[in-house]
Amino acid sequence: MDEKVIEVKHLAKSFGSFEAVRDLSFTVNKGDVFGFLGPNGAGKSTSIRCILSLIKPQSGEVLLFGKSLATHRGEILRRVGSIIEKPDFYKYLSAQRNLEIFARISGVDSSKKDIYKMLDFVGLNGREKDKVGGFSHGMKQRLGIAQTLLHDPDLIILDEPTTGLDPQGIIDIRNLILQLKSEHNKTILLSSHQLSEIEIIANRMVIINKGKSVIEGDVAQLLNAQELIVNLEVDYAEKASAVIAAEFPSIQIQHIEGNRLLVALDKAEIPGLTKALVEKGIGVFAIESKRKLEDYFIKIIAN
Amino acid sequence: MKHIIKIALICLLSLQGFAQDANQLLAELTAKMNSVKDYAVDALITSDIPMVKILPSQATIYFKQKDKFKIDSKGIAIVPKQGFNDIAKLLSQKDSYTAMVMGNEVMNGTKADIVSVFPASDTSDLVLAKLWIDPVNDIVLKSQITTRSSGMVTILYTYGAQKKWGLPDKMVFTVDVKKFKIPKGIATDINKNSAADANKPTAKTGEIKIDLTNYRVNIGIKDEVFVK
Amino acid sequence: MLLKSTRNEFIKIAAKPRSYLGLVAITVLVGVILFALKADGMSFISFVTSSFEQTLSFEGNILNGNLVAFIVLQMLVIHIPLLVALVTGDLVSGEGAMGTIRMLATKPISRTKLLLSKFIAGGVYTLFIVIWLGIMAVVVGKTIFGSGDLMVLNSDGLVILQDADINWRYIGGFSVAFLALLTVSSLSICLSCFSENSIGPIVTTMSIIILFTIIGTLDVTIFDNIKPFLFTTHMAAWRSFFEDPLPVDQIRQSVVILLVHNVALILISLYKFNKKDITS
Repeated sequence: MDEKVIEVKHLAKSFGSFEAVRDLSFTVNKGDVFGFLGPNGAGKSTSIRCILSLIKPQSGEVLLFGKSLATHRGEILRRVGSIIEKPDFYKYLSAQRNLEIFARISGVDSSKKDIYKMLDFVGLNGREKDKVGGFSHGMKQRLGIAQTLLHDPDLIILDEPTTGLDPQGIIDIRNLILQLKSEHNKTILLSSHQLSEIEIIANRMVIINKGKSVIEGDVAQLLNAQELIVNLEVDYAEKASAVIAAEFPSIQIQHIEGNRLLVALDKAEIPGLTKALVEKGIGVFAIESKRKLEDYFIKIIAN
Repeated sequence: MKHIIKIALICLLSLQGFAQDANQLLAELTAKMNSVKDYAVDALITSDIPMVKILPSQATIYFKQKDKFKIDSKGIAIVPKQGFNDIAKLLSQKDSYTAMVMGNEVMNGTKADIVSVFPASDTSDLVLAKLWIDPVNDIVLKSQITTRSSGMVTILYTYGAQKKWGLPDKMVFTVDVKKFKIPKGIATDINKNSAADANKPTAKTGEIKIDLTNYRVNIGIKDEVFVK
Repeated sequence: MLLKSTRNEFIKIAAKPRSYLGLVAITVLVGVILFALKADGMSFISFVTSSFEQTLSFEGNILNGNLVAFIVLQMLVIHIPLLVALVTGDLVSGEGAMGTIRMLATKPISRTKLLLSKFIAGGVYTLFIVIWLGIMAVVVGKTIFGSGDLMVLNSDGLVILQDADINWRYIGGFSVAFLALLTVSSLSICLSCFSENSIGPIVTTMSIIILFTIIGTLDVTIFDNIKPFLFTTHMAAWRSFFEDPLPVDQIRQSVVILLVHNVALILISLYKFNKKDITS
């Protein structure tokens, strides 16, 4: 049986008459990279703040490593590293000093060497003595990740870690997370509305909307259960359309534009379709899968 | 009318007689004072003045004829503004005053002549000086000085070993304090309101006692000592 | 963990330029006062002693380091709270405004310890300010003006204290002044727990001090009952150490009232900070 790292049970939090989170439940198992998905205002940040006890929920229960934060705060938080929304640091202090401060109250006395090593790990070597006030958003995000890792936590909670980053920054952070998972075997809760990010990184996920969990499960299973949308690039689109209509009635042609056809089909039908088209003398130049999660997400939220 | 003129003449003659006595007394007193060219003496100053709280303080007093005077104190010492060397100063200028014997009084078993000294000038700060003089030893036993600025200061003198120089061992000053005022806004005490302070009875006179010991007379004190 | 967090707070205070503003301000203010007294101190003294000097003559070095230090204290104690609040009022709300409070509150330290470390750091900063004021007033004052007996004007008259009898009074006076300023520090940290911006608690602290001081100054009967319980009334309690005889009961009362204020403010702050939702 999987060891449960986070258990959220019937969590509810209101701000005045606004119900930010209502009856939210999900579980994160050890070793998961858990995607926490939801549109803006769905209650992701509020839920994460409740998990970390920044906000007191009105009702419900949060267990981390099987224990309640209310009674085992120190013990639990020693095993948790987090970035909520965006990492904020003391602008008037250097990167090294900031990390020393956070390491100290995380219960570890990091040596200068440890801190330099960590800054090197997140790609900030050479900037140790620079004041954080002069750092770019991407550099602060990296420093934020360094800060979460200093005390070698078992669980890392990252709330929108790639927001506001440039494409290279997004790739860097994504690679860092993958490295944490593969090389350090950390459990990661990743809140994001960057669907591609979750699709690539996460193995499990929950989608929440209006403060409630809509669906929770294994990313691959959830997405595989759905039909695939692919972009088919051929030399004769009309001819290809006729072949599909005649030989593959289950495949739905959604759109034709120039030499491209947008079709909905099952993953298993792709080899047969390709073979049939080639046999009929139609050249197949490309088969591109459209983002599945994007469609899945929109469908789920719309429902 | 003749009687009146007779009485007036008698009065005038007797007044002249009193003035002559007074001048004689003061001349003898001045002569004794002048025999002291300079002196230095250690003083222990003890004050009991309403609205002023101070522990006894030690000082050295320097005097040099004719009017050089200095109090040298390591800490803060309070002395009366008037009455210290004012008599010597006043008597040193014979033309500046008129004196008259006003009677006598027995003080601690010694008969003393009471001499009133009036300044000649109308603008002088001194209004009246009254001296109780022991005519035998030519020493002042008591003085009472009234000035426009300070009111009345009474001084009682006690003599010991330095009697021959006319220098006292002890002086007790009684000064007027009714003019003392605390500037508003300077002193701020907590837990005190004006009503409580207003009800406090205040004495109208204060006393400063100066014990003088270790006189060094005619030792040739240099003028530099008096430079402040 | 409390000590570690307190160390962090010291590092943060030491790194903030505004923390040095207080020390610089004290240096400049005391410098100006010392210069003025050196240039024309006797006329200042005459203003106080003029009514006495018609009858009495004050001998000895009146304008000495002890009196100068007393004058400096008298002039500055009312202004120092601003310098203290400038730093302490920012300790919690500044973290909220910066967003770092979020980072701190997710670390394995209880909010109680986190806040207490801020109170300790604020207290130590206040102590530094008081010590610096002491050094500038007493040490520099005595170096320039020399030592001597201290003449103090209280509401019931002049008190002349002997040189050898003064140092312990300054230690006592500075200790009570520290306690009064500690109350200002506690007040501003408490207000800081209720605010999300840095300026609010600083301005509110000063407004409260001004309001209470006005209430304390007004000679209106209806305020007489509350005056003894206002902490501002006891901000001048350091002066009691320069009275003779020493008003022990009055000093004790001031110390107790200031301590009660501090404890109450710390408890209110802890309650609020522990209950607070961190949404910044």
